[in-house]
Amino acid sequence: MSGGAVRIGRSLLALLLLPVVLLAFWWVLSADSTSFYMPPLRTVFETFPDTWSTDGLTEHVVPSVQRLAAGYLLALVLGVSLGVAIGSARRLRAFLEPVLEFLRAIPPTVLVPLFMLFAGLGDTMKVLVIVSGAVWPILLNTIEGVRAVDGTLRETCRCYGIGGTARLRHLVIRSASPQIVTGMRQGLSIAIILMVISELFAADNGIGYVLVQSQRGFAIAEMWTAIIVLGLLGIALAMLLRLFEWRTLRWYRGLREAQRGRS
Amino acid sequence: MTADELGAAAATSAAPTPGARPGAAVLRGGNALLGLLGFATFLALLEVVPRLGLVSSDYLPPFSRIVGALGDLLREGGFWAAVGDTVWSWFLGLLIAVTLGIVVGFVVGTVPVLREFTASTIEFLRPIPSVALIPLAVLVFGLSIKSTLLLVVYASFWQVLIQVLYGVADVDPVARDTARSFGLGRWARTLHVTWPTALPYVFTGVRLAAAVALILAITAELVIGIPGLGAEIGVAQQSGAVPRMYALVVVTGVFGVVVNVGFRALERRLLSWHTSVRSEVPV
Amino acid sequence: MKRRPLVSVLAAAALLAATAACGEDDPADGMTSIKVGAIPIVDVAPLHVGIAKGFFREQKLNVEVINATGGAAVVPGVVSGQFDFGFGNVVSMIIARSQGIELRALASGNSSTGRQGADFCGLVVAGNSSAKTAEDLEGKKIAVNNLKNISETSVRASIRKAGGDPSGATFVELPFPDMPAAVAAHRVDAALVVEPFLTLARDQGARVVASSFVDAAPNLTVATYFTAQQTIDERKDVVDRFTAAINKSLAYTQANPDAARQALLTYTQIAPEVANRLTLPAWPPQINRSSVQAVSQLMVEDGLVTRPVDVTAMLP
Repeated sequence: MSGGAVRIGRSLLALLLLPVVLLAFWWVLSADSTSFYMPPLRTVFETFPDTWSTDGLTEHVVPSVQRLAAGYLLALVLGVSLGVAIGSARRLRAFLEPVLEFLRAIPPTVLVPLFMLFAGLGDTMKVLVIVSGAVWPILLNTIEGVRAVDGTLRETCRCYGIGGTARLRHLVIRSASPQIVTGMRQGLSIAIILMVISELFAADNGIGYVLVQSQRGFAIAEMWTAIIVLGLLGIALAMLLRLFEWRTLRWYRGLREAQRGRS
Repeated sequence: MTADELGAAAATSAAPTPGARPGAAVLRGGNALLGLLGFATFLALLEVVPRLGLVSSDYLPPFSRIVGALGDLLREGGFWAAVGDTVWSWFLGLLIAVTLGIVVGFVVGTVPVLREFTASTIEFLRPIPSVALIPLAVLVFGLSIKSTLLLVVYASFWQVLIQVLYGVADVDPVARDTARSFGLGRWARTLHVTWPTALPYVFTGVRLAAAVALILAITAELVIGIPGLGAEIGVAQQSGAVPRMYALVVVTGVFGVVVNVGFRALERRLLSWHTSVRSEVPV
Repeated sequence: MKRRPLVSVLAAAALLAATAACGEDDPADGMTSIKVGAIPIVDVAPLHVGIAKGFFREQKLNVEVINATGGAAVVPGVVSGQFDFGFGNVVSMIIARSQGIELRALASGNSSTGRQGADFCGLVVAGNSSAKTAEDLEGKKIAVNNLKNISETSVRASIRKAGGDPSGATFVELPFPDMPAAVAAHRVDAALVVEPFLTLARDQGARVVASSFVDAAPNLTVATYFTAQQTIDERKDVVDRFTAAINKSLAYTQANPDAARQALLTYTQIAPEVANRLTLPAWPPQINRSSVQAVSQLMVEDGLVTRPVDVTAMLP
């Protein structure tokens, strides 16, 4: 139908217009640039294949992403399992609350020098750093989510004798999942930040390493390509998380829409 | 379901659900005691574990030694100068980010066309880690506060913007239409309808931005070497002064707690007239 | 609402305060304030000696020294105008020059003593490491204070001289103070350290396998005091005063090495008894031009620059 086509056309336009315009602006404004810090965008694009050839990708992007994945997944497992345990036990939660509140307030990057003391300079240290920062939003949001499980639902489960893993899966985790996903999103951006930081010093591979190495060699175009790669990585991972959220929280979306309609 | 959602939302703080249940005060007192006990246990462990040699005391000094280093720190003029540097760059960066975020958020949020067309750009730019800009900041601004501000503002701005956009989008259409049919102009509508609705979201955004700003300010100081608490931590680590390093980490933690708790308290007080105090809206 | 006007007033005030340029000249007493980017190592002792002895004050210069991890971190500061002058190694300068950044050396910074095994820098390994010569460090992980600086070039020269292939070695950036511990704990296979950290590392059992600055070129000029061409064009008077003061400081320190040892105690955290034991670099009055040329050649061989750089344009 022409109406439908117009709508799709408009959505596509809305999606692409501003980014394309901004990119064009950047290209044109920098085309004649003699500024040291902002080489022409064209030069940056041309440097891309040199720096990020298949070798570059395997040598730097793959280890970075591997460490990020390892750290994030570990943080997820730890955060959710501890969060469920703590969130379900009211006394335990009250007991731990101030300590957690304090530990979570420590900016994760200051732990990097600490971890360098303990864990050396290799991959272990980098993964530990990522876990140490990403775990907090996941943990705390899980605790909140588990805490807020609807009382009526809880009683109903008890009446029907639903317990154990079934209860865990269908009641606790499902109720808490919107909050857990919020935590996952915050945890992801912290994980990416920590991945980069851990590669800025004492590293010999990784996207962060390329970033600092090109800055040391005053290879500005190369440095910009590293910034762009990091940006693309951030966007790609955010989209993946969105997809995950869309699939797993379908039930929640429907529920909210129904509520909104009613109220 | 709604009441519980609100309860969960309001309970992002340490206090339990502000409910009207009888004995709630007793419950709160009991919880506070437990919390204190938990903290004391943590400190005790911190003292005992290194002394027992379970972890080398070179890496984790006992709590008493950390306190000693903390005491020394508090007497140093250089420490307080560093605190001043960090607080100043945090505050300035936050101010700029919040101002920009509110202005841009309101403008984009209230004009539907703008909102539609900027959505993809925001989604693209937002996940870019601000630490990727560190080498650029070093090149352009060197070791000055401007480097810190670049990182802090870039990271915090998005927090505020996103929340303001949510807030503006949450305006009750009935209220908006009523205002319009009563002849309130665009500006008046923004002031009397949109702003009050969005205010809790703005506060959430400012709170999140404040936490992010602190992290980035200290990170910039640590990585680049700009004067401040982060730089002090770097120097302590490099000099092998481990208790001092831990003492500085404790100080940053205290700051973080003060920022979190302070903003939440401020939020609760200033929004006591609002029927709901929201946490970050999921989805 | 009451929040908004307050915010805008605060914002205006803050922006005003932040953009107020810090005055550089205090016309009242004729003193010019300058910022010098340096590194907290023994090399810059003359700078601190000169400040303490008033040579800079004689030239009506009020010096603030700001420490960075190495030359590659100082150069951006000089280029951005945040530092008026900088102390940095010749390799970082050559790389900057090859990228079109116009830096000029004003005075010699320091030189290698030229004596193997008795230089102020050393390529060290842990006491119980299996490496005996630089050749054993082929393909290993070596710590340097900044990537792509004179440490990298010199270490490669050492490996080459000992008969090995330098292309496989990986370099890891670590600040000097972190190096002794990293070497002792085998987190890196070797490190290129300078005093005072060389003595600190040795005290922890590390062994020197090569004096890399000696391997790079004879009587190597390691670093210089430099500034941006733009500063020379715009503030020649200040530049001349700085050059005079620093040259006087260098001459004085070369003649009075104890002054250097004393100065070390003020800008580093080392103990006095360590300061008395360490090896001092040489502080000759002139830059050794042929050594800088040789380094430039090495950089082409190592792939740090694509074409040989004409170093005469950047030397005084």
